[in-house]
Amino acid sequence: MLKVAVLSFAHVHAAAYLRLLRAMPGVEVLGSDPDTGSAAPGEVRGAALAASLGVPYADTYDEAFAWGPDAVLVCSENARHRPLVERAAAQGVDVLCEKPLATTVADGEAMVAACRAAGVRLAVAHPVRFSPAYAAVKRAVAAGDTGRVLTVSGANNGHLPTRARRWFADRELAGGGALMDHTVHIADLVDDLFGARPLEVYAQTNNLLYEGETDVETSGLVTVAYDNGTVVTIDCSWSHPRSHHSWGGLEMTVVGEHATLEMDAFDQKVHGYSERDARGVELPFGVNLDERMLHAFLHGPAPDGPTVPDGESALRTLRIVTASYTSAHTGMPVPISH
Amino acid sequence: MPPLSIGLLGAGGIARAHLPGWLALGATVSVYTQDGSAEKLAAEYAGRGHAVTAVPTLADLLDRCRAVDICTPTPTHGELALAAIAAGRHVVCEKPLALTVREAEEVAAAAAAAGVHLHPAHVVRYFPAYATLRAAVAHGDLGRLAVLRFTRGSARPQWAPWFGDPAQSGGVLLDLMVHDIDIARWVAGEVVRVHALTRGAERATGTPAEVVAATAVLTHASGAITHVSGLWGLPDQPFRTTFRVAGSDGLLHHDSAAVPGFRITAQGVRAPNEGIPSTPMTESPYLTQLREFAASWDDPGLVPRVGAADGVAAVRVACAAIESSRTGRAVDLPAEQKESAC
Repeated sequence: MLKVAVLSFAHVHAAAYLRLLRAMPGVEVLGSDPDTGSAAPGEVRGAALAASLGVPYADTYDEAFAWGPDAVLVCSENARHRPLVERAAAQGVDVLCEKPLATTVADGEAMVAACRAAGVRLAVAHPVRFSPAYAAVKRAVAAGDTGRVLTVSGANNGHLPTRARRWFADRELAGGGALMDHTVHIADLVDDLFGARPLEVYAQTNNLLYEGETDVETSGLVTVAYDNGTVVTIDCSWSHPRSHHSWGGLEMTVVGEHATLEMDAFDQKVHGYSERDARGVELPFGVNLDERMLHAFLHGPAPDGPTVPDGESALRTLRIVTASYTSAHTGMPVPISH
Repeated sequence: MPPLSIGLLGAGGIARAHLPGWLALGATVSVYTQDGSAEKLAAEYAGRGHAVTAVPTLADLLDRCRAVDICTPTPTHGELALAAIAAGRHVVCEKPLALTVREAEEVAAAAAAAGVHLHPAHVVRYFPAYATLRAAVAHGDLGRLAVLRFTRGSARPQWAPWFGDPAQSGGVLLDLMVHDIDIARWVAGEVVRVHALTRGAERATGTPAEVVAATAVLTHASGAITHVSGLWGLPDQPFRTTFRVAGSDGLLHHDSAAVPGFRITAQGVRAPNEGIPSTPMTESPYLTQLREFAASWDDPGLVPRVGAADGVAAVRVACAAIESSRTGRAVDLPAEQKESAC
């Protein structure tokens, strides 16, 4: 049996991971969520969440590590990834860390260094790499069907995530707002697609959406120029209406010299309308990206299949995000340090 | 109302989009070009019983018309507009109003001084989906606008070589993206900062499959931010525009390819892409536009939704985008230029 511990249920994905791990053959799962101070009233965390999912629970991280996990999933608040990752490294346990890797480059570098020194694997949760739609884009680019890629326009819009977890709009714990939350998914795909070096970033943000509710940025447009000549723009805004029946999505348009491609990572759905609930419905039929990602993390990638991004690549995308904040602040393009 | 006599300058793609609009308004139309194409266009329409006549000189055209409609390549807009204004004629001018801010301002100032109307033909304001967007925003349906996206793509224009020369057309930023720059201003207000990048073959050399793509981020005085994406693409790139506009109280989006109202799904052979977009389910937006312009000539109370200042501002923002794409810097637009006619 492969023993996997989920450390912290702060991130909204923790419950999904617990469910998937519980159902995976050959996997034994344990949850632990001792630091629930960031939770708003009504957020189900800790032993209660574990019990509702029928997952064994440890009251402390000490207990969770004493259980002897083969791997851990770190689902704490963005700014609290580092201590758990460093602890896993010290215990010699492989880590899958939620994105973004950290809220500062210094934290990210320390986490990568700790895992490298300990010889443990640091993987970062970017499930969209496992999207068949993205795989089709990657095949087309790798085969040369697109020719040289000129521009990539991406949008990763979601609703304001604070209803499920309040800390997502806490400047300290989340490291910012939409820019921190939603830039990295598309930046990671682009990192994987080209292996190119980002040279410069320009970003503009505002908090005109939910202005009275949060002081972090809720809208952002990020433009990144890469050393292969490609220009990538990312709309990272939490601009999907909160009352909409879906959470949002991720789309990309790739303009090459020989072909233009469009992908939608989450629109493998039947759309309709429920008279009973008086709202639109979406019935997804696509593959479960989280499940594919967890499987690849625990058992290795499928032949020719995607791998979970490592700490180094997550650090590259984090550098884009931190430079974006500088650009949004100064109103000028900012070079990306390496 | 005096009889509607129009002097049409040019006989290319956009002239052919405007001419049926003028005829639908009951106009008599004189056409002038320097390359003989006016005679061909006039003969084609006269043969169908329409009041369209080719004239041999610009002076003849100005003598015969009340208003001039400039549908010529962009570098000639300024000179022709100034000639028409000097003759006391109203001017409809295809977008962009001019290649440079200075020339656009000069034309606008001349029109104001002469007391004639100057109508930059930003026809997208008359496309029903965009007009609907603007009406909803103006009505407050979306609350405060926060983040907007506009895309516009077509096959690279091959019908006239001057499009491929950025020195004559302004390239994809000024010729194509000026449409959405104008719409972004119309919907979200004045633009105070621009950053843009262009990739691909800015200058077309005539070989097929020369793709050029540009991307611009506009920051509005309100704090709202807009992404504008423009593509002159491969020969089989369908004409397509999209928008997605999010505000504090909601979201509106549109994809011209998703809601055509009508489409031919098979016809045995592959049809060429349209160069000038049409909206078959509504009145021609070109007609709507020209009707609104002409109506303002006799009733000062009827102010068209696009004015001379808008044409100048669109050129100013697009030229700032060009400057940004060349220098790699974000370009701040001077505060005193932020007044709007809309």
